[in-house]
Parts: sequence; structure tokens; C-alpha cells
Amino acid sequence: MDLGFIITNAVVLACIYGTLAIGLSITWSSVGLINLAYGFIFALSGYGAWLGAQHISTNGVVVVACGVLTGALGGLLVCALAFIPIHDKPNFTVRGLIATLAISLIGGQALLAIFGPRAKNLPEIFGSWKISLAGVVLTADKVGNVVVSIAVVTAVLMWMRSSRRGLEIRAMMMNPHAAAIVGIGVRRTGFYVMAITGGLAGLAAVLLSQTYYISPFGGLAPMIKGVSIALCGGLGSVRGAVIAAVLLGLNEALTARLMGGQYVLITQFLLIILILLMRPRGIAGILDRAREA
Amino acid sequence: MDAAAIAAPGGAPAKHEILNVKGLSAGYGPMRVIHALDFIVYSGERVGLVGLNGHGKSTLFYAIAGLTGWQRGSIRLNGVEVGRTRSQGPGRFTHLVVRQGLALIPQGDEIFHGLTVGEHLDSGAFTPRAWRERKQRKERVLAIFPPLVKLMDTPVGRLSGGERRMVSIGRGLMAEASLFLVDEPSLGLAPKAGKSVMAALMSVELGSSAMVIAEQNVALLEGKVDRIIGMHVGKLKGEASAALAFQTRREL
Amino acid sequence: MVDVEQRLRPGTATADVPDTPASTWRNPLHPWGAEGAEEEIPSNPHRDPREVWVRTRESKAPLLPVGRLRYYHKWPGHGGRLWQRMRYWPTRRRVLHIRGEYNPKTLRREKTIVDKRPIWWVLGLVALLLAPAVMPADFQNTLMTAGATFGIYAAINLCWMLIIGTAGIYSLASYAVVGAAAFGTAWLSIHMGLPWWTLPLVGSAIGLVFGLIIAIPAIRLDGFYYALLTIGLNELCRVYTLQSKQFGSSTGGLYGADTYIPQSWSQESQSLLAYYACFALMVAALILYRFVDGRRLGRILKMAPEKREAFAEATGVNFRRARIWVFIISSIGLGFIGGFYTAHYRGVSFSIFSFDTVLLGLAMLVIGGIGRAEGAVVGTAIVIFLDKVLIATGPIRLILIGLIMLGVVLFLKGGLFGIKAQFGAWRDKKKSERRSRRAEKGGEMLPEEATETKDKDLIYWRRYDKMQRDYLKSLISPEIIEEHRKSPLGQHSEPLERLLLYFRRAPLADKYAITVVKPFQAYRIVALSGQRGVAPRIVEDKVYPTQDEAYHGVFLRRVQDLLET
Repeated sequence: MDLGFIITNAVVLACIYGTLAIGLSITWSSVGLINLAYGFIFALSGYGAWLGAQHISTNGVVVVACGVLTGALGGLLVCALAFIPIHDKPNFTVRGLIATLAISLIGGQALLAIFGPRAKNLPEIFGSWKISLAGVVLTADKVGNVVVSIAVVTAVLMWMRSSRRGLEIRAMMMNPHAAAIVGIGVRRTGFYVMAITGGLAGLAAVLLSQTYYISPFGGLAPMIKGVSIALCGGLGSVRGAVIAAVLLGLNEALTARLMGGQYVLITQFLLIILILLMRPRGIAGILDRAREA
Repeated sequence: MDAAAIAAPGGAPAKHEILNVKGLSAGYGPMRVIHALDFIVYSGERVGLVGLNGHGKSTLFYAIAGLTGWQRGSIRLNGVEVGRTRSQGPGRFTHLVVRQGLALIPQGDEIFHGLTVGEHLDSGAFTPRAWRERKQRKERVLAIFPPLVKLMDTPVGRLSGGERRMVSIGRGLMAEASLFLVDEPSLGLAPKAGKSVMAALMSVELGSSAMVIAEQNVALLEGKVDRIIGMHVGKLKGEASAALAFQTRREL
Repeated sequence: MVDVEQRLRPGTATADVPDTPASTWRNPLHPWGAEGAEEEIPSNPHRDPREVWVRTRESKAPLLPVGRLRYYHKWPGHGGRLWQRMRYWPTRRRVLHIRGEYNPKTLRREKTIVDKRPIWWVLGLVALLLAPAVMPADFQNTLMTAGATFGIYAAINLCWMLIIGTAGIYSLASYAVVGAAAFGTAWLSIHMGLPWWTLPLVGSAIGLVFGLIIAIPAIRLDGFYYALLTIGLNELCRVYTLQSKQFGSSTGGLYGADTYIPQSWSQESQSLLAYYACFALMVAALILYRFVDGRRLGRILKMAPEKREAFAEATGVNFRRARIWVFIISSIGLGFIGGFYTAHYRGVSFSIFSFDTVLLGLAMLVIGGIGRAEGAVVGTAIVIFLDKVLIATGPIRLILIGLIMLGVVLFLKGGLFGIKAQFGAWRDKKKSERRSRRAEKGGEMLPEEATETKDKDLIYWRRYDKMQRDYLKSLISPEIIEEHRKSPLGQHSEPLERLLLYFRRAPLADKYAITVVKPFQAYRIVALSGQRGVAPRIVEDKVYPTQDEAYHGVFLRRVQDLLET
């Protein structure tokens, strides 16, 4: 178990969890919903990709597309159930949180009932080649994971920065009332946001299933990782999430190297608590004014 | 409606009704702010709406945009019915009304703190045509508000009050709207800044669209708008063309 | 007239009041045998003025059967004696909140029980106490186990409710505290041989330590940051115990601790003892809830509700300290329950740390309604019933719980026990919206205007005037105008006479009058100024050749004005 291996592992995981964390972050800041059904979307899109691989084709592109599409559908479902009915009612944040939890409870049990408790695995979508770089062996799935996740996240961020829908989403993050006056439909934008973040979850699910299996409750651990990264980076801040992902990935690699695998979570939470005690709103720390002002 | 006849400067093209409000009542919860109000705005017209605090000027604008707690009555914008007669979540249908050609420039700072001035102006142009023409439109707005040219890349959160108001009004002007509702453009500004903002509003070429300006300060409007309407406890009172505003008794 | 009276009753419609009573004109001079007088001649149709009166006074708000005002049963008083006021021991509270009044209608004293919740509590607890006696024998075992589980979970949820509801800290780590205490005591009991009665006490100590550790971030973090962090902490506990050999990662939990249930007893006595022990635990948790929520700490925290913390802080309420205190007290309670858990089940499994446990616990709180003890207990009962008694249905029962949770969250603001308040608020909102929408155009004053008017008589005068104008408008017809044209002065039919009376009574300002331009040749209509010394203004250029035509011109103008208002 050499350092290079651990670091590459950490980077790969950081990329995937970062994707999840960015999805959570965008959801919170633009529609004000903490989506704890994210784990369910994750598992659902894993199964979607698996079904695609079983019935359509094992081609990598098809599998990824299936996963992302199912994820987006899952996002739309969560939006329709937990955002649309209560977004203008009192206590929306708490009720939204609990509604997403209920969805994840129902969804997990439904997946269990439909697909059974046995874990499924996806075909290798990036092939099985490997390259050696400065003594570190990089397998195809690692390189593929990193490249794809960074590319997609960058694409999403660029799209949010430059396009009209992105402008809508960002405007709604900052001042929902003014957004309505300008002519942005809150509900429609909610659907966009949830579809995009669901798609990100789907992508992360497909990528992660190169290493792990797909199971009905397999989304839980990645979601908690994603939540803690988003929390550490400051909910709502994409930059903070990226920094936090790198930081926690490094921490994971170092702890596993120096202290052993079972202490990873402990050091990680100590780190998060430390960061949050210093900056209660995470690394970015300044974001929340727009929503609460 | 003899005021409408006065409102056609220099034989403008055939005027049509931009906004036709009939029997509009609106309010928030148990409070009723607007009472069975009728109001017509013709194209090419600049109307001043004058009234004291809390007499329903802003609520009238919000009701037109569908932002009040409840409302009933008919609101026709460009001949399309946009009034809704049930109590709805405020703002649920606002974007559809805006799409019909409404630009509401609200009171106070309803701005997006993090966006830059340029992005802000873009955000005003949400109808597809306005989005395509946003370059030209931005230039037009910058011609009206020259101080904004230097600030195009600054986040709006850092601007001063007057500059913010300019951005907010500029955002409204970016839209391809046929009706501009301007709520208290001079509120909270130094008298000089308020006057310059008002002058900028007067210099906007309306074409076939119309503009309604709500103000508390009649002096800022007198002689500059086509007609002035007073508003008193949720009803329109005393309508006069601006030229007559000096002579008629004001019921304010 | 009698049948008009009947027809005018509200409800029996007002539209078609017959015009017979006044459509003939009876000559009052006829009995005296005036020359050429006829007894009665046909006249213009007339309508009854009470028609408008009734229509105006009728309530137009549709009376929907949506609830009623709060109803209290009135108990008889005790004559002159005071009501016996029992207070329960450590507090100075009365058992029931009873209000005594003097009823001026019946001339008697009467009593009202304002808050009936204590009665329901007592009934419910007694029912639980007697439940084992009436359980069907087939389900005895399942129900007793479920009852014991219910007691433990209700106790946990009550402590958790203190944290979420009273202290307003969105902590999802309550089961982590319980689990940590349970694992700690189980380990100590197995390896150090602690007897069962020490376990809850040791558990309390562990809970205190854990509570202190978890409370540190709560000082700085608020709301959802804290909720997400505690989810993470829960997961941390799960993964840690799952991986460590000391806590039995191989056996799926830590078992073999000392228990309070004597193994020598029969099966039934064992389960009966377990049931009552758990019941006692729940009652203890209720007492803890009562003492924290209902006394000083709870009062302090009620003064600092969400979004008004800054105000509370500015007025000198140290709510942060109270929050931390509540948090620590509940953590000690949770630790105690953890120790009891170990002593009850003889150990503990990892599932207490799992996300599903937290979810189910949250479902219990949410279904009952956050912030109320009865919510925690009833929510627990519902979820435990679905989860443990219907265990045969498999995953369907969890889906059912999820659906109930979703439905409650989407439609109810405060859980099942908030339904009443929510319904009342909804009804009041609808009522007041309907009331504020209802206003007739015209003479009536609007509410805002009415409050600004000094002379309140004016409000009622205007309402009356509007009613009268409405009525008079309905009288105007071409026949009447024709009648007036024929003879402006003299005897008229009733509708015309009523119209003219109204016109004559008009105030002087802007009242029409006739000036003589040239006697018997030219007349003109003017309007009086209403002010002494100010000349009347000329209304129109038309010159009338005769006086009668001028009268009729004035009449036409007045009719016109009336119709326009």
C-alpha cells in the first residue's frame, strides 16, 4: 500500500464525492431545500444504469446516459413531491428536509422490494487498460472517473455561469422575490435545478459503481460524505465544496496511511467540526445572506 | 375619458389600451388595501400615481404583477386577462404576467447582491426576443444611465443606493415590456439623485409602451407626465392632465 | 299588507313583491262626496320600500359548515363555596385549569375546564396500565414486546423532543447518544461485571460526557448545519462500532449484559415485568419533559422562538445557556435510557446507529407534531404499531410509515396534534378574506374611510342613503316621467311622490333651481351654490318657455343624477 496508490484513490473519491456535494450545494442555495433523498436518487440511478446495461447495451456512453437520465428523473420526482407542494408554505426548510427523508425511506424500501437485497455491479465502462505514471499505476476506471467527473462538473459550472438558465438559477439563489419580479418562475427553475442535481447524483452513482456495488441503501454512505463535504465547504458555495472535497480527500489519504482505515471517519469529523467551529458557515462562509436577508 | 385625448402628443399612432383594470380588489389576508378599482392606461402614455404612504400604490402594482395575498377583478394586459380571482401563493404566476409584457421596478432594493451590474441587466431581459437583443438594449440603458458604464463588472452589493436604484430601473428597462410600473423611484435617495433618476425615467422613449410612476412627491411629477392620478385609501381619486394639475384641487 | 309581510321574510325571496297594493290610487276625498271624485283610479306601479331594506340587511356571506367557535362544557358551580384547588406537590400548579364565572343570563355560577389535556393524559396512561389485562391471548407475546419497545422509544423521543422542540436544536444524534451509552454499559457489564441497577447510572454519566461533546458545535452552528453534522456523527458511531472488535463486530452487537428480569420467572411474568418497567421509564421521561419544558428553562426558551432570538437576547434572555442546559439534561436522560436499554435487552445491536432508526424516530416526532409531549408519545405509538405489530407485512410497513410521514409533512403544519390549530387558522383566514372582499360599490364607506371619519353618524347615514337611492332607482320608469311631464305639481302616484320627496330633501349645495329670465316666457335651470352670498351657477343654456317645462327639466336632471350615482 504505497502513498501514490492512496493519493490516487483519495483523488478519485474526492472527485466523486465532490460531484455529490456540489449537487447538494446547488440544491440548497437555489431552491432552499436540503435534499436528503440524494442517497435514494443515487441508488435509483445506479439501478437505472444497471437496467440500461442489462437491456440496452453495455456501451459506456449508454450506461452513463442511463444513469444520468434516471438521476434526473429522480430529481424531478423529489422536486414534485417535496418542493412544489410546500415551497411557499411556512416552515418550508424543516418540512422539506423531513419530506426528503420520507422519500428516501419509501424509495429505499421500494428499491429493496423491486430489485431484492442482492448487490448488482455495472460493466466496466472505461475499458480495462492501465498506464504507469511516475511509478504509480493508474487504472482505466480511476482516470476515467476523474476526467469525467471534472469535465461534467466544469461543464455544469460553465453553463451556470454563462447561460440564461444558469443566470436564472443564480438569481434565484440570491433573491427569490426579486427573481419572481424579473419573470423567473420559481417552480420551473426548481425543476431545472433538481433535474441537474439529480443528473449529477446519477453520474456519481455510475462512476462510484466502478469501485463499489449497487444496493438499495448504497446511496447512504456517499450521501453522508457528500453532505459533510458540502457542509464543510459551506452550503451553497461551489468553490467551497471543491476546496473541501480536496481537503477531506487528502485527510482520508493521510489518515489511512498514518493511523489506519478505521480512524478515517473520526479524523474527518474532527476536521469538519474544527472548521465549522472556526467558520460556522463553512469554508466559503459568506453565502447565506442572500437567502435569509 | 378626456384625459386620454390629451395624452396623445403630436398625433402618435393609434392608441390602444395597454392595461385595463376593472373592479380590482386586493389585499393581504384579512386586510383589504385596494377597493374595486378601475384604471386604464393607453399606449405611449406616462401616468403619475400620487398618494400617501399606505394608500395602496405599491399594492396596486403588486396586484397587477400577481404578488398580493389575494385579489379579485379583471386585469387585462395587452388584451390578455392576467387577473386571477382566487387567493394564490404570492408570486406563483408572476413570471407569466411578466412574460405578457410587464416590467415592475419595485420599491427599495430588490436586487441580486452577488450578480454584477452586467449580469443584472441581462437578468432583466428574460423574454426570448429581449435576450437575443440584450446587447443593443444594454447600450440603450447605459445611454440613459452613463454612470453604470464603469461599474459593469462590479457586484451590485457594493454599489451605493443611487447606483442600485439605477441598476434596478435599468433592469426593468431591459425587458421587452409594454407596461413599466415604477414604484417610488426617488424613495430613499438624496433629492438631487432622486431628480436625476426621475429625469432619466422621463427621457426613456416609450414608443407604443406605457409607464406608470408612483410617487409621493407631486412636485417631481408635475408638468412631466401626461396625467396624474391621486390615490386615496385604495381608490383612485381626481384625475387630471398634468397641465391642469396646478389648477385643480387635489384630493390627497 | 299581511301577505307582503310574509313575502318579505328573508329567504322567501324579494324579487317579486307584488305591485298590486299601490298600483291603484284611492281618492282620500271620495268618502266626503267631492264633486266628480272617483273612488280609485289605476296608477303607476309601485314597489315596496322594505324590499331593499331586507335585501341590504341580509347576510350575503355563505354560511359554510366549517367548524364552530370553541365549545366548552359548563359545569355547575358550588354555590358560594370556592372550588377545591388541588395542587401537585413540587409545583404550585393546579391539576386542572378551571375558570369560574358568573353567568349573567342564568344568574348562576359556573365552571369551565379550560385545558382538558390532563384528563386525556390520565385516561391514556390508565389505559396503558390496564392494557396487559385485556390483550387477546393470541397476540399476547407480540403486543407485550411491542408495548415494552413503545415505552423505551417513547422515553427516547420525549428526551429528543426536548432537544428539538424545546431547545430548538435540530440534533439527529439522539439515538447515537442512546447507542453510545448502551454500548458503553454493555461493555462494562460484560467485562467488569456491573450489576443491572448501576447500568442506567453509568449510562447517565456516559450520556453527560457525550452530550457535552456534541453540545460544543451547537454553540456556534445553527439549524441545518447542525442537523447535517449530527447525521454525520451518527454515521461515525455506526462505522466505528461496526469496525471495532471490542464492540463485537462479528456478532452483530454486544450481548450478555446483566438484566433486571429474573431468568427464573415464567415467560409471562417476565414480559409483564418488562412491560411495566418500560411503562415506568416512559412516565419518568414524561415527568422530565414536564419539568424541563414547563418550568424555568422552557419558559426562557419560549421567550426566544425561532427568528426572534435577537430580540430575546437584546431584552436580556440568555437563551443560549438555556439551550445548552436543556441539551445536556436531555443527554443525561438519553444516557439513562441507554443504560436501561442494555439492562432490558441484555445488550445492544448496531441497528440503533443505523440511518433507518433515526428516520423512524424522526417519523415518530413528525407524525405526532414537534414540540408537544403528546405528539411524541402518540407518534411513537403509531409508528411502533406499524413497525412491530404488522411486522409480517415486510417492507410494505416501512413504505406505509414513509407515506404517512410524507403526508403529514406536506399537509400538516404541526403534525397530528396541530390539526386543530391549523384548521382554525385556515378557517379564520378564509373568513377574513371573504369578509374583506365583500363590499358594495357606492355610498357605503370603506372600512379605512370609516375609521378616519370623525362623525360616525355619517357612516350610517350614507348606508341608509345608498339603500334609499337603490330603491328609488328601481322606481324610475317612462310612465312616471310621462306622469311628471303631464303635471309637475299636484297629486301624484306613490312612486313619483316618493321620488319627488327625496329630491326636495336634497341639501342646498348644488341643488337645482329655476330662475326667471323673463316672467311667463323664459325660465332657466341653475344650481344653488349652498353658500350665502355666492350666486347660483347656470347649468345649461336651454331656455324653457313655461314654468312647468322648467319644472320637468329640473326633474329630468335630478333623475339623471340619481341614476348616475
